[in-house]
Amino acid sequence: MRAVDIFIQQILNGLSIASVITLIAVGVTLIFGLTGIINFAHGEFLMIGGIVTWLAVSAGLGFPLAAVLAILAVGLMGYILERGIFRFTLERPTNGFIVSLGLIVVLQHVVVLFWNPNQKSIPRPLTTVWEVGGVRIASVRVMVILITVAVVALSFRMITASRYGRALRASVEDRDTAALMGIPVRRYITGVFVLGSALAGLGGALLIALFPITPFTGGTMVMKGFAVALIGGLGNIYGAVAAGLILGIVEGFSAGYGFSQWTDAYSFVLMILVLLFRPHGLFGGTSGPRMAS
Amino acid sequence: MIASRQPNGSAISALRSLLPVLVVLALIALVPLLSPSNRFLSLAISAGINVIALYGLSVLFGQTGILSMGHAALVGVGAYTAAILARDLCTGFWLALPAAALASALFAMIVGIPSLRVGGHHFVIMTFAFGQLLAIVLTNGGDYTGAATGLDLVGPVTLFGADMSDLTRYYLMVVAFVAAAAVASWAIINSPYGRTLRAIRENERLAASLGINVGRHKIGAFVVSGIFAGISGVLLAHFLGHISPTQFASFPSIYLALMVMIGGARLIAGPLAGGILVAFLPEVLNLDPVQSRIVYGVCLIAVILLLPEGLIAGVGQVFRRLLASGQPKQEREELDTASTTPSEVRR
Repeated sequence: MRAVDIFIQQILNGLSIASVITLIAVGVTLIFGLTGIINFAHGEFLMIGGIVTWLAVSAGLGFPLAAVLAILAVGLMGYILERGIFRFTLERPTNGFIVSLGLIVVLQHVVVLFWNPNQKSIPRPLTTVWEVGGVRIASVRVMVILITVAVVALSFRMITASRYGRALRASVEDRDTAALMGIPVRRYITGVFVLGSALAGLGGALLIALFPITPFTGGTMVMKGFAVALIGGLGNIYGAVAAGLILGIVEGFSAGYGFSQWTDAYSFVLMILVLLFRPHGLFGGTSGPRMAS
Repeated sequence: MIASRQPNGSAISALRSLLPVLVVLALIALVPLLSPSNRFLSLAISAGINVIALYGLSVLFGQTGILSMGHAALVGVGAYTAAILARDLCTGFWLALPAAALASALFAMIVGIPSLRVGGHHFVIMTFAFGQLLAIVLTNGGDYTGAATGLDLVGPVTLFGADMSDLTRYYLMVVAFVAAAAVASWAIINSPYGRTLRAIRENERLAASLGINVGRHKIGAFVVSGIFAGISGVLLAHFLGHISPTQFASFPSIYLALMVMIGGARLIAGPLAGGILVAFLPEVLNLDPVQSRIVYGVCLIAVILLLPEGLIAGVGQVFRRLLASGQPKQEREELDTASTTPSEVRR
């Protein structure tokens, strides 16, 4: 293969991973922007999305239906967890963070308990590989990228243009004032939790279409999602998308050019550097809803 | 010496918080008389090693209000220091102790100086990231760090010429170290330094306006927690005889944070109770490792939502409310744990 072919190949690989990471990061950043809660269990939501997809495909359903099921199941889980647990931590976001650590442990091991800790994979939903010049393009990667672009664009549209989006942004800006203006802030918080969880569910379905997953996949993925959310500036969706692209491409290149053992380190190094020199991220974020500390 | 600077009454009440812990530890030291199984001793030793690290975490989180998700990394620095020194310089256990404490303290300072510039929740993520990075670096360290398989540690632990590697003797030694850690953390809590840290915890800006150098004290508390962690790491490395990077990545750190919160980070009995509970609960309830992890997670969530001060303080509060309803509330730190601790710990 020519150098330029490898280059294009790596960009494509990087972009498809970046898509999944971006889906996590958007959920993380939305939830943080509105509630100040850093939900580390978000990666487990993704993992459970993947597991639901695996269960549905194993039961004989097609991938599209399985992905929809994953979105619904994880969205429902987000609803239950927000109503049952996270709403009691709204006054002290740090507690929400600690609770999410407990949730990581619980969710991982419940999955292990029922479906053993081994790798799980599904047959690729799209097996076609296009050859363009010297570049081999797996259609499943293109599918992942396109779905992500469509979903993220839709979320943007909802947040920037609809009246619900405007109310949401007002609540992020100032929760109390928004509530005084008649915006049902509590309901928006629940809604954002459900939306973020559903995006993670979709991310899980897309991830298992690309790679096998284990019950412990969520841990590494959420760190990358957080790295991206922080680099983009917590609370800033545009930033999250841009940073997701950067990280995905960096990781893709690193894997393609023989530094694969360091791939996982980049997100952490980038995150540490950004926090040190631009604590609000490269693209500016909110510091959360008037944090207690 | 430190407590004597305060009025007599508070010195006694300060001692009263330490005494039950020492009594419990003395009882624990008598356990070998009952000729317990090797399995019990091993479990107790690992619990004790965790408790030493937890006392460091309690100074950081309980007193200063800084949560670290990289505490296991600090333990790991201590453990790897001991292993590498033993391999390259044939350094024994006792020389490794100060060296590892120093190495962990240095690592804490290197991580702390940049990390503590960023506030609350960002700091937590920073420590988490540094913990993961350390594991990645150790994994990619080639022969020097033993890569993913880790390092072996050979060589007996001796004390005044006596071999301490025997399980019962090592157990007694760990109990002594736990007692030392408890006394050290008690001394910190009851010193003016501890009061300074609590002032920072309660209101950083107010503390700064009183002339307290907040940044330096926060880093100081992080370094102190590193010293505890380093010592715990040496004990761990010599106990296991083999260490590997995954033992010190982020998830072990989460479990350490979980233990200190279940026990209650602000009380002198908290780390001891948390470490013992988490180690022995699965044995008592006869759970497999997967089930016990689920129980820990549920416990953590329940403790945070229902008893934010930790189990011991929570039980103590309920107890006192039952005993003396109507009396004015005491300050949280002065919680009288004397009446509740022993029964709670032994459970």
